[in-house]
Amino acid sequence: MTRKPFAALSLAPAIALLAMLAIVSVGGAIWLALMNRTLRSPDAEFVGAYNFLRLLRDRRFFNALEISVIWELFTVAGTILLAVTLAILIFETVKKPIWRNLLCFAFLVPVLLPRVAAAFIWRFLYSPSLGVINYLLGLVGIGPVEFLADPSLALVSVAVVDIWQWGLFFTVILLKLLETLPRDPIEAAMLDNARTWEIHAYVTLPMLKGPIISLVLVKAVESLRSFDLIFVMTGGGPGTATETLDLYAYQMGINMGGRISYASAMSILLLVVTTIAFTIIWKAGRRWAN
Amino acid sequence: MANISCTDIVKAYGAHPVIDGLNLEIPDHQFVVFLGPSGCGKSTMLRMIAGLEDVTGGTIEISDEDVTTLPPGERDVAMVFQSYALYPHMSVADNITFGLRRQSVARDEIDRRLNHVAGLLGLEPFLDRKPKNLSGGQQQRVAMARAMIKTPKVFLFDEPLSNLDAKLREKLRTEIRKIHLSLKTTTIFVTHDQLEAMTIADSIVLMQSGRIEQIGTPDEIFERPASRFVADFIGTPAMNFLQAKISVDPEGLLATAGEIALRLSPEMFPSLKDGSDVELGLRPSRMDLCEPDATNALTGHVVLVENMGSEGQIITEMDGQEISFVTKEFRRLQPGQTVHFAIHPEHIHVFDPKTGKSLRSPDETL
Amino acid sequence: MGKLIGHAAMRIIPAVLVVVALGPIFWTVLGAFKELRDIVTPIPKLVFEPTIDNFVTILRNPTIRDGLLNSVVVVSATVLIGALLGIPAAHALARYARRWGDDIQFFVLSLRFMPPVAIAIPFIVIYLDLGIYDTLFGLVLVYLTTSVSTIIWLAVPAFESVPRDIEEAAAMEGCPPWEVFWRFSLPIAAPSLFGALVFTFVLVWNELLLALTLAAQNATLPVVAASITSLGKEVPWGVINAATVLLVLPPLVFIGLLMGLLNSMVRSGPK
Repeated sequence: MTRKPFAALSLAPAIALLAMLAIVSVGGAIWLALMNRTLRSPDAEFVGAYNFLRLLRDRRFFNALEISVIWELFTVAGTILLAVTLAILIFETVKKPIWRNLLCFAFLVPVLLPRVAAAFIWRFLYSPSLGVINYLLGLVGIGPVEFLADPSLALVSVAVVDIWQWGLFFTVILLKLLETLPRDPIEAAMLDNARTWEIHAYVTLPMLKGPIISLVLVKAVESLRSFDLIFVMTGGGPGTATETLDLYAYQMGINMGGRISYASAMSILLLVVTTIAFTIIWKAGRRWAN
Repeated sequence: MANISCTDIVKAYGAHPVIDGLNLEIPDHQFVVFLGPSGCGKSTMLRMIAGLEDVTGGTIEISDEDVTTLPPGERDVAMVFQSYALYPHMSVADNITFGLRRQSVARDEIDRRLNHVAGLLGLEPFLDRKPKNLSGGQQQRVAMARAMIKTPKVFLFDEPLSNLDAKLREKLRTEIRKIHLSLKTTTIFVTHDQLEAMTIADSIVLMQSGRIEQIGTPDEIFERPASRFVADFIGTPAMNFLQAKISVDPEGLLATAGEIALRLSPEMFPSLKDGSDVELGLRPSRMDLCEPDATNALTGHVVLVENMGSEGQIITEMDGQEISFVTKEFRRLQPGQTVHFAIHPEHIHVFDPKTGKSLRSPDETL
Repeated sequence: MGKLIGHAAMRIIPAVLVVVALGPIFWTVLGAFKELRDIVTPIPKLVFEPTIDNFVTILRNPTIRDGLLNSVVVVSATVLIGALLGIPAAHALARYARRWGDDIQFFVLSLRFMPPVAIAIPFIVIYLDLGIYDTLFGLVLVYLTTSVSTIIWLAVPAFESVPRDIEEAAAMEGCPPWEVFWRFSLPIAAPSLFGALVFTFVLVWNELLLALTLAAQNATLPVVAASITSLGKEVPWGVINAATVLLVLPPLVFIGLLMGLLNSMVRSGPK
């Protein structure tokens, strides 16, 4: 067997499977979105763009869209800022390899937790009656704070958990990247009498521009998968204060009434919006990185 | 044992040919070096002979058998890579014997041959180690042992010494040469190091941008460079070049470049006419100090004296040009001094300034 | 004096950071060994009489036991099939595919952009119609999107870092392409590939949404754990904590491996 048949044979099954799953799910979603299928009965009629037109008049849909955007921006920015800050802080203050490795191990733990587990851990901490956080706040005379039941706090409180998981993980990556940077430019900057923050602002961070953009992209994709965390922590509540698009689609399609076609229309819109958004971000990121 | 012949070889990446119609004959038992600057196509040629690179056009024959489309494993050639390409997950012994074990050669035959090559290359103490626990030179030897144990028709070496330090390089160069003397396997050795090529080769194939500039023994390449490119590429310190004009007078040929005037041998350059423009090539190592009135004496001011141990390179300035020569008596020279040095007419190279080709008559013998 | 504070800060900062990272988990682990009366206290208790009642409760619970078993079956099948399909594909992409390689890789990566709901909803209907709704087989099939694409995504760089020379040297000894792959590329890339498999394992083990929508009855462990909240009136915090610990343990076993994967990825240059 020569090279070409071997390559084709190795590649074909995987790509065929992926293509099939992708076509079936996207094609299926489009097909369903044009019908009025529900979970209760298998009968359905073709209704054209009806579901999409309904969406445009659905206040709850626009609320979910808004919350999704806020969630996306807040968690991505929070994660990257936390990671950059902590990575530089550790890079400058913790010099012993043992301590650094220990920190890296500790920082890797949260991201490995299943979202469900992280959600329970923090619900326990956030609890107004028996949570540690409210106990500590009580010591300084604040509280009790209803972190997850207060509509103005709930989204932020859930986002903190997301940032706790991913910000610490990205800190480890950035720290490793800082360690692999060539020492010469940093030492040259030191000879020029640059202060520590100047070295990082003008030398190391610009050198890490490419990787940081990649991290932003990875996190942006990851933040779309917020369902597990929000579902367990608040279920989209209180009211619809933390209901992102995927939660709303789930509630519509599966939980309440099983309006599968309507939910499909929503997920199609979600798919289109994310595809466009990521293509733009991807291209812009590429250009900016070069 | 085998001869190799490459006929009308073309190699193109997309529409862009990097080698375009190359012909080459390598006789049996020869140690041939492909020499040239990086990107000249020497490695590509080697990899096409190995079968690692597809040939776009032309044929390659080994022992008069067309191997152009054979996979590398069926050509009965062995290769030593620049990076050694040892199998990191196998011990040294397994690395060396892998090819034989694959062909299900008898166990005791494998052991016998392993002991033989390991002894030849001094690898006995390392047979159980993993490649990463060996020094660069030892890894190099393992790579050679792996090639030798198969007793192939042809050995191919792709810059095998360029990752080693200078001293080790010299040592292994000698070893490779000795092994070839005893095995006499046809060998192609790729390098960009002209000194390495000169010391190791029976025959050098000097390449530039996908073409063969000259094929010849090291002596021929050094003494009778076919072009300015070859002359410039070979020899340290590098050759001096001067634009000059030829005049024919009763005493023979005279080349003048400003105040510099040099006698040429009319037998060597019968084609030169009065008034033709030429480029002269003067090897620093072929010039030495002389009396002011000697034939072909040049007079210059010393700019720099470079100590090379047993001799020194003197860089002089004359008539706005820098010309260097080599002498053993460099220690008494100082910058600023005036020196006289000369070159024998028979050692002057003359090139066509347009084509770069040597103007020396092909009939005249060394 | 300033220096003294600086030195103190250097000691304190890592300690604080470790507490931030691990404190919440530590607290949950403590909670898993507490009786409910030790949890429901106005002042959090650090010292208490440990009990394993919570673990006994969850391990006796048939729903949780089934969930655990389902998780193990689904995750191993997904990772195993994903590896069988994804690893050879990644090798082909890393070595042979010149013209289409980038496009295929982008397609594989773009699957990771797909919102999970967009996959879940059509598959509910398709599975209902095919009669494989609520089966482990159906769940594995959908999870293969994740595992195959993730394994390809991580394994391509692993194969790219295998020196080409070594594969060529093997080819010169007469190995056909499949043998070069099996006896050389695969063992040499094995450490990074193992990391990729572990990463995929963690992703699939942790997944909730698809399991919740496609196999609500044959639930995996995250689905079961997520449903404990609504047991009776009183929130059974001890049991929840114990279930959380159970859920968390398998991914954490591999933390050292992931660290190694991370190190090698950073060293080989960020993508």
